[in-house]
Amino acid sequence: VTEIRIYSFMIKELCQQFPQGITDQVIQNDMPHLEPQQRAMAINKLLSLGQLDLLRNSAGLLYRMKDTQTASKMKGSDNQEKLVYQIIEDAGNKGIWSREIRFKSNLPLTEINKILKNLESKKLIKAVKSVAASKKKVYMLYNLQPDRSVTGGAWYSDQDFESEFVEVLNQQCFKFLQSKAEAARDSKQSPMVQRNSSFATSHEVWKYICELGISKVDLSMDDIETILNTLIYDGKVEMTVIAAKEGTVGSVDGQMKLYRGVNAIIQPTGLVKVPCGLCPVFDDCHEGGEISPSNCIYMAEWLDF
Amino acid sequence: MTAQEVRLCGLLLQEHFGDVVEKVGTHLLRNGAQHLRAIVQETGTPMDLVKKSLCVLIQHGACAFSSGRKGPGSPVEYQASFERILRILRYPRYIYTAKTLYGDTGELIIEELLQRGHMTMSSTVKTVADRLTLNMEEGHSMEYSEVSNTFSKLVETHFLQRCPPVEVAGKAVSATPDPATTPGAPANNTTPSTPESFADCYKVPHVTLIGRGKRRNSSEDGEDQRNAKRAKEDPETHGDEGIYWQVNFERFHLHFRDQAIISAVANKLDQTSSEIVRTMLRMSEVTTPPIATCTQALSANEIFRSLPPNYNISRPILDQYLTLLVDDPMEFVGKSGDSGGGMYVVNLHRALANLARATLESVVQERFGSRSARIFRLLLRKRHLEQKQVEDFAMIPAKEAKDMLYTLLSENLVQLQEIPKTPDHAPSRTFYLYTVNQLPTARMLLQNCFKTVANLIERRLFETKESKRLLEKSQRIEAILASLQASGAEPEQLTEVEEMITPPEKQQLESLRHHINKLDSAENQVDETIFLLESYIKSTATNKVIG
Repeated sequence: VTEIRIYSFMIKELCQQFPQGITDQVIQNDMPHLEPQQRAMAINKLLSLGQLDLLRNSAGLLYRMKDTQTASKMKGSDNQEKLVYQIIEDAGNKGIWSREIRFKSNLPLTEINKILKNLESKKLIKAVKSVAASKKKVYMLYNLQPDRSVTGGAWYSDQDFESEFVEVLNQQCFKFLQSKAEAARDSKQSPMVQRNSSFATSHEVWKYICELGISKVDLSMDDIETILNTLIYDGKVEMTVIAAKEGTVGSVDGQMKLYRGVNAIIQPTGLVKVPCGLCPVFDDCHEGGEISPSNCIYMAEWLDF
Repeated sequence: MTAQEVRLCGLLLQEHFGDVVEKVGTHLLRNGAQHLRAIVQETGTPMDLVKKSLCVLIQHGACAFSSGRKGPGSPVEYQASFERILRILRYPRYIYTAKTLYGDTGELIIEELLQRGHMTMSSTVKTVADRLTLNMEEGHSMEYSEVSNTFSKLVETHFLQRCPPVEVAGKAVSATPDPATTPGAPANNTTPSTPESFADCYKVPHVTLIGRGKRRNSSEDGEDQRNAKRAKEDPETHGDEGIYWQVNFERFHLHFRDQAIISAVANKLDQTSSEIVRTMLRMSEVTTPPIATCTQALSANEIFRSLPPNYNISRPILDQYLTLLVDDPMEFVGKSGDSGGGMYVVNLHRALANLARATLESVVQERFGSRSARIFRLLLRKRHLEQKQVEDFAMIPAKEAKDMLYTLLSENLVQLQEIPKTPDHAPSRTFYLYTVNQLPTARMLLQNCFKTVANLIERRLFETKESKRLLEKSQRIEAILASLQASGAEPEQLTEVEEMITPPEKQQLESLRHHINKLDSAENQVDETIFLLESYIKSTATNKVIG
């Protein structure tokens, strides 16, 4: 038994020599007389003491010195907890779902839940509600910032989509572009100059919004571009892409996006000026039925207007 | 022939031609081509009434006859044309356009021709001159030559065309003189002859018409009827017997289409650009076939020369405007070459597709709100999207986006496309993509428009029927007033008669008038939508281009 202890000590020394981790091969080269069985027992001892980390890479198994800080934290936790902690750590800042922890660790559900509660009370991990599925909780290390895909980024605050915020930004961007277009129209210069001056780059809009200071969160240019895209889908704005020299302010990959306020090409069409065009029971209406043109209340109201 | 279309045609026929024609017409529309005996049997109307109705329909071009399908000896078959009957809805627009282009004379010419169907030039000129003279001051009357001038101008610009001549009997179909055959059934030709296939379609005949319009006093109303009848059997010949004219609807439609494009350009860009597009369209009016996707290529030099004189913009500025028009995402104008300072075409099909798309978007916006419209436009742009992608692009919270998408889906404005990942189409392993197909959606909206117009007409008839008693009373009172005034009664008598209508009744009459006017103008407005959608559908069908 003492031999195992000696061997463990020697392996630990090796690990300290190579902080990035050692493989079985390295141990064998260093201690050629060590049989695989004894080596395995020694390594297991170190693992159970919590002094070694077991990792896997493409070449095979890797043993690494464990960080003493975390080693001390884990004192008093048993193997299973350490295993779960390991899995959560590996998930990084995207977090991991409890069911996936179960798959990876092969532990029964009750055990997992107990361990998670333990770890949470020790303030080692935290649960973050995912914005995609509101009932799903992902776990990640306590001090990590959750990734954007989980919290939703700038448009979500506490899992709620901030529609008002988006609306306000929408209107502000539109007003900015509209006033720029009007200024260009009133300048009475040649048409080409007029049109070019009615364009604004996404960078300009971004700067304007930042200076307005209506946002408590920092917005990136990509965020502004998503807002501008919604304006395009509203039919109020059109976009072109031009080639820009690398290094010009606001250019991304050698191009810049330009936005411009536009007017609709037709007035609201004739069909919608009539009650039938907007009627919710249009399909049920026919002559002689309960709902018919003769007794239509919408028509009666509209006619008396 | 959908049920809505038949219903609408029935209502139009009834209003303009009466019950008998409506019965015969709807029967023909529902059952396709039929011969005379079948019509008589199935509608249960007497033979002579059926004959008269068919004559009325043929006179207006709503019905065509051709020899039977069963061979050369079979009876002639009649077929009603649903499109032509629908045009009745658009008569006010045609008349108004003629008025703006050619003044009161043009307006009356078109009105007369629309009412009568086919007329010779001489009779048209005479009738119009008489009508114009009626509205002029005492002692003035309208020259026939003025009216003839306007008539010729209308023919030159192709707004009027000759009716295709009907072959005289005894030529091709000989054998059994079927009593049902109207004289001159054309030979067994499979393709209907269009008016344009005849060489003299737009040639104004040499007509000797000298004279002025005759004024008729209102007291000769009774004589008026007899005079009108007599005029038809007028032995005076003017050299154009047998040459009948009709209104060329297609030409008017081209004009409306051009107007729609010009106003779209004016809305999107500015007045000058729309003037340039107007010039381009005017230059290619008679050279472009009606179903072309784009006009003939015009060089910038030609455009510059043809601009209206009060628009003195310099040549480089014109070039800039043209470049801007070409660069615009709506693609109204395209550049097809560089000779002559740049060859430009107006993209007719693209413009129609854009207008139709804007119509669809407008309907969705007014009916469901601007956020649903955002989703609709998003789907039009991106073609196919998943539920999650829709929420992300449109920046609408998931719950609301789902609700809106399902509403649009239930109204059939948006379709769902399934893409299975596994052969068993399990729902959890299938992609569900939302998409909008512009052409089928346009067709669906067109049917809705037909139903809407039919509803409006029915409501109008209902309102009139409700107040029938009141209307009759007011008509009697007016007649009494008129006769009293003509025979020189005293003012007290007049006021006594006027007071026979009580104030609440007056109010009712006022509101009735207001209702009827509103319904009438609403019909015209919906007809504008019908025109845009129909043009788009026709243009897509003939060009087989995904717009």
